[in-house]
Amino acid sequence: MKKIVFSSVLMAMLVFSGCADKKPAVDEKTTQEVVAQEVEAVKTETVSAQDSSVSESDISKSDLNEISMANLERDLSTVYFDFDKFVIRADMQNKVANSASVAKGAANTFTVKLEGNCDEWGSDEYNFALGLKRASTVKKALIAEGVNETRITMVSYGESNPACSDKNQDCWAENRRVDFKLLP
Amino acid sequence: MRILFILLFVFSLSYANDATIEVIKKVESLPTMAVEDSSVSYDDTFRLRFFKALVADLNVISLFNVDRHHRKTHYNKSDVMVENKDVDYVLRYRMSEDDDGALNLDIKLISASNEVLNKKYRISRKNVYVFVSHTIAYDINEFMGAPSVEWMKRRVVFSRVVAPKKTEIVISDYTLAYQHTVVKGGFNVFPKWANKAQNKFYYTSLDGKKPTLKHVDIKTGKSKAIISSEGMMICSDVSDDSKKLLLTMAPKGQPDVYLYDVDTFKTKKITKYAGIDVNAQFMDNKNIVFISDRLGYPNVFSKKIDTNSVEQMVYYGKSNASCSTHGEYIVYKARESSNVFSTNTFNLHLISTKTDFIRRLTATGINEFPRFSKDGDAILFIKNYKAQSSIGIIRLNYNKNYLFPLKYGKLQAMDW
Repeated sequence: MKKIVFSSVLMAMLVFSGCADKKPAVDEKTTQEVVAQEVEAVKTETVSAQDSSVSESDISKSDLNEISMANLERDLSTVYFDFDKFVIRADMQNKVANSASVAKGAANTFTVKLEGNCDEWGSDEYNFALGLKRASTVKKALIAEGVNETRITMVSYGESNPACSDKNQDCWAENRRVDFKLLP
Repeated sequence: MRILFILLFVFSLSYANDATIEVIKKVESLPTMAVEDSSVSYDDTFRLRFFKALVADLNVISLFNVDRHHRKTHYNKSDVMVENKDVDYVLRYRMSEDDDGALNLDIKLISASNEVLNKKYRISRKNVYVFVSHTIAYDINEFMGAPSVEWMKRRVVFSRVVAPKKTEIVISDYTLAYQHTVVKGGFNVFPKWANKAQNKFYYTSLDGKKPTLKHVDIKTGKSKAIISSEGMMICSDVSDDSKKLLLTMAPKGQPDVYLYDVDTFKTKKITKYAGIDVNAQFMDNKNIVFISDRLGYPNVFSKKIDTNSVEQMVYYGKSNASCSTHGEYIVYKARESSNVFSTNTFNLHLISTKTDFIRRLTATGINEFPRFSKDGDAILFIKNYKAQSSIGIIRLNYNKNYLFPLKYGKLQAMDW
C-alpha cells in the first residue's frame, strides 16, 4: 500500500511539474508590456532654431511657366510597385513609355524629378533605400526610352509622403509608387 | 522501479526550474513602495501630473511594486500614512515654489520607520519637472545599488510625421512627457545627436533640390548645411568622439555607406555592393555593422572599415531591416510572419555574437528602430500598433517593456 501511495505521489508530482520541452530555437515567451500612463504634454515653446524653409528659387519663375508645368505633370503618370520590390511591373511599362515621350516632348525644357515612396511597413533607412531603388529603376527606363540622363534627379521620401493613409492593402499598394515632378 | 521513479523525479525538478518561472517569482517578491505627496505649492492638476510621472519612473526602474494611489500628507509627520504602514518603502516628497519662481523639491525615503535617504532638487522652470522625476528615480536606483539607469536622464530627439511631406523634429525625455519642437514647418527626417552632451544634432532636410544633412547647435540656434547627395542622405551613426559620421548616401542613385570626417570634411565610400547598403553603426573604431540586401532580402552584416570582406551576423528572420549594437549584442528588427500583412509582423530580437541564443523582445505590432543605451542596459524603440505610435523601452535585465504613446503624428525616427 505504502509503495502505491509513494508511486502515485511521485506521479502527481511529475504531472504537476509539467513536461519541460527542450530549449526552443527562439525564446517565444512574450515579455510583459505595461502601458505607462502618459501625462499631458508640456506646452512647447518655439525657439525654433531652424530657418523656415522658403525656397527662393521659385520667386523669379513666371506664373505661366508654373501653369504649364502643372499641366504637364498631370500627363506624367505615377508608377506603382509590388511589396518589397523595385522592378517595373508589366502593367506599368506603358505608363513609363508615355511619361518618357512627354518628358522628351512638351516637357523637354524641364528637369524631371522622380520621387520614390513606400508603404508604412517600416520607417527605417532600408525603406528609404527601397524608395530610391524604385526611382532609380524608373530613371533607367526613361534613359532607355531616350530621355537625357542629366535632366533626371531622384529623391526618396520613404513612408513619409503617403498618398493614402487608411489601413488596408489597396491603400498600401497606392503608396508604393514613384511620382513625377517637373523642376524649372 | 523505485529507482526509476526517483530518477524521473529529480530530472523533472531540474527542468521545472526554468527561466520563466524564475521571473514570476521575482516579480512577486519585489519590495512594495508607496508615494506620499506633501506639496505646498502648485495646483492639484500639476501635483497629479508630477505624481504620475514619478510613479511611471519608479515602475521603469523595475525594483519595486509601486502603489498608484495619490495620497497626501504632511512632510514632517514622523509616521507614514496608515494605508502605507505595511509598505516596504515610502517615498515622501514636497514641491514648493520659491521667490524666484523656481521649483524646489525635497524627498525622503522611509523604510521601517527610518529615513534612509533624503535629497533636495531645484529647477528654475517648472515645465521641465519631468527631468526632476527621472533624477529622483535615478537616485533611488543608485541608493538601492542596482545597475545604473543613467539613460533615464538623457534626452530623446525624434522626428514626427504630421502630414505627407510635413514633419517636426522634437526634443523630449524618454517618456515623451516633456516635448520641445525645435524644427518645424519643413520635411526633415532622421535626427541624430552630434555629441555626448546632446547639445548639437544632425538631421536630413528633404526640402531642397537634393537631400541635405544639416547640423543644429541648440544653444546658439545656428543651423548649417554639412553635405548633400542625390537620392538619399542620412546620418546613421556618430562615433564616440563625435569626429566621424557613418552616412548613407546615393550620389548615383545607389545607396551605400560612407565615412565622413567632421574635421577634414572628407568622405570615404565603405560599401560597394550594387544593391542596398544602409543603416551602418560603429561597433568600435575599426568595425561596423550595416543592413544589406546582398542575399536578396535585408539582413545584418559586419565589416572592417578598411577591408572588403563582409560577414553575415544574423541567421534568423526573413527580413531584418534595422539593427543596433552594444558590445557583443545585436538587437535587430525581423519580419516573422510569412503573411506579409498580418498584425504581428515585425518584432525585435536580441542575439549575442558569442552564443546561438535568440531572445524575442516584443510581441505585437510593428516594432522597429531599436537603439541601445550607451551602457547596454536598455533598448529604446518605436512601436506602431493600431494607428498608435509609441516609444518603448525594454529593460533587458528585468524582462520588462514599457510604452509611452505619442499624442499625435507618427514617429519617423529617433535617437537618444
